[in-house]
Amino acid sequence: MKRHHAVVRITHWVNVIALTIMVGSGLRIFNAYPAFARRGESFCCYPFEHRAIPANLTFGGWLAGARNWHFAMMWVLGINGLVYLAFIYLHGEWRDLVPRRGIVRDAWEMVKFYLTVRKDHPHQGKHNALQRLAYFSMPIVGIMAVVTGIAIWKPVQLAWLTNLMGGYVWARYWHFWAMLLLVALTVGHIFMVFTVDPYSIPSIITGKYRPELSPEARNARPLVHLLPPRHEPPAEA
Amino acid sequence: MRLPSHAAERLGLDRRRFLAAASGALGTLALAACDSMGPRSAKRILMLAESGNEKIERVLFHHSAMDVPRASATAAGSHFPAYFISDDVPIWDEAMNGVWHLEVSGMVRQPLKLSLSDLAALPRMGYKLDHFCVEGWTAVATRTGVRLSDLAKLAGVQPGARYVDFQSFDSDYHESWDIESAMHPQTLIVYAQDGHYLNPAWGAPARVYSPVKIGYKNTKYLTKIVFLPERNGGYWSDRGYEWYGGV
Repeated sequence: MKRHHAVVRITHWVNVIALTIMVGSGLRIFNAYPAFARRGESFCCYPFEHRAIPANLTFGGWLAGARNWHFAMMWVLGINGLVYLAFIYLHGEWRDLVPRRGIVRDAWEMVKFYLTVRKDHPHQGKHNALQRLAYFSMPIVGIMAVVTGIAIWKPVQLAWLTNLMGGYVWARYWHFWAMLLLVALTVGHIFMVFTVDPYSIPSIITGKYRPELSPEARNARPLVHLLPPRHEPPAEA
Repeated sequence: MRLPSHAAERLGLDRRRFLAAASGALGTLALAACDSMGPRSAKRILMLAESGNEKIERVLFHHSAMDVPRASATAAGSHFPAYFISDDVPIWDEAMNGVWHLEVSGMVRQPLKLSLSDLAALPRMGYKLDHFCVEGWTAVATRTGVRLSDLAKLAGVQPGARYVDFQSFDSDYHESWDIESAMHPQTLIVYAQDGHYLNPAWGAPARVYSPVKIGYKNTKYLTKIVFLPERNGGYWSDRGYEWYGGV
């Protein structure tokens, strides 16, 4: 069974590269002034003011290099996002991703299942309620990252936008948060793929998927089905 | 239907090999972001992106877009950072170089040579302005000086002058601008900050300052303003920072 269209697969892999470079170069830019406070002021809401991000998490080598990468890769990330959104809209896939009625109740059932309060995997279709919430918030946070980024880029020419964010200092803060959320969603997504449904990994490369191996059919929780069983001692005859 | 219950079993891996493969994949991802400059061959693409971005920034640029600091913002005062490229604070040596003058030259009908008191006698503009440093910090200060557009009128800038080079006595520091940004009403030749004549750490006797340009474009320790038909790079623009540097 074909699960992921070529457009979905390609945009996913472009995203891997673009997001890695955007986050790495962004952190290098941040390290040039790893704080949010205006000079002569303090900032309320960041506990690590003036503490640099470890250099091996950054990309670009130095401030100018990181800026050049950031301002080039932003186009790849932005256009890739638009291609993905246009595709899932035209192809109808958005229906699998937008929240439906009862999503809160369904999400709660999934939480109960993961916490082993509930034994069987709730039947919720291609994507369960937690997945829908995660996949639906990803483009929203992405748009947030772009809009806050533009506000930092042009705080005078597009002052109305920067003011909407609460000014330059806050726009920079929200841009940082958008990055954190994007990273959290991405890490969560990859973690769940590897620990709940590793059978789906080929489907993001070749597109092929065997529905009988789905987490629902396997009643799978993170990690539970991943490691080989410890061999039982031979039964006494 | 037989449901295989173990991923590693299906993939034909034992526990140890599976964990090794998984950590290898993660390691590759981490390395990709390991304080790297990225591939050298990407330089051309990065420069292409920079020139594309400059075109967009020039379309976005409007003389009517003004910087207005947040009402709640505190002036940086003595916390305002002091940056220069010389080893020590550059100070104009009158004994060696004579009295400081600002020269306005290049594509002008009437070159000017202005002393500090000449500048102070010209129509004075004062704005409370944000300073946007390329490093990411901002600082608020009141800047007082002469609009560059007023100096341009006095000197009679010729129509072919599309660029302006701001030169200094801070070693070979200079930065050239597009004429549109130079003629913005908040582009000032500043000789006072927070109500006092500039102190040497902040660019005395005079500097260019405009909130429409990132900090490094705003040459301090000014000596010459040269109107040019072509751009003339700049200290940081020649070292990898974008030439346009618009805000």
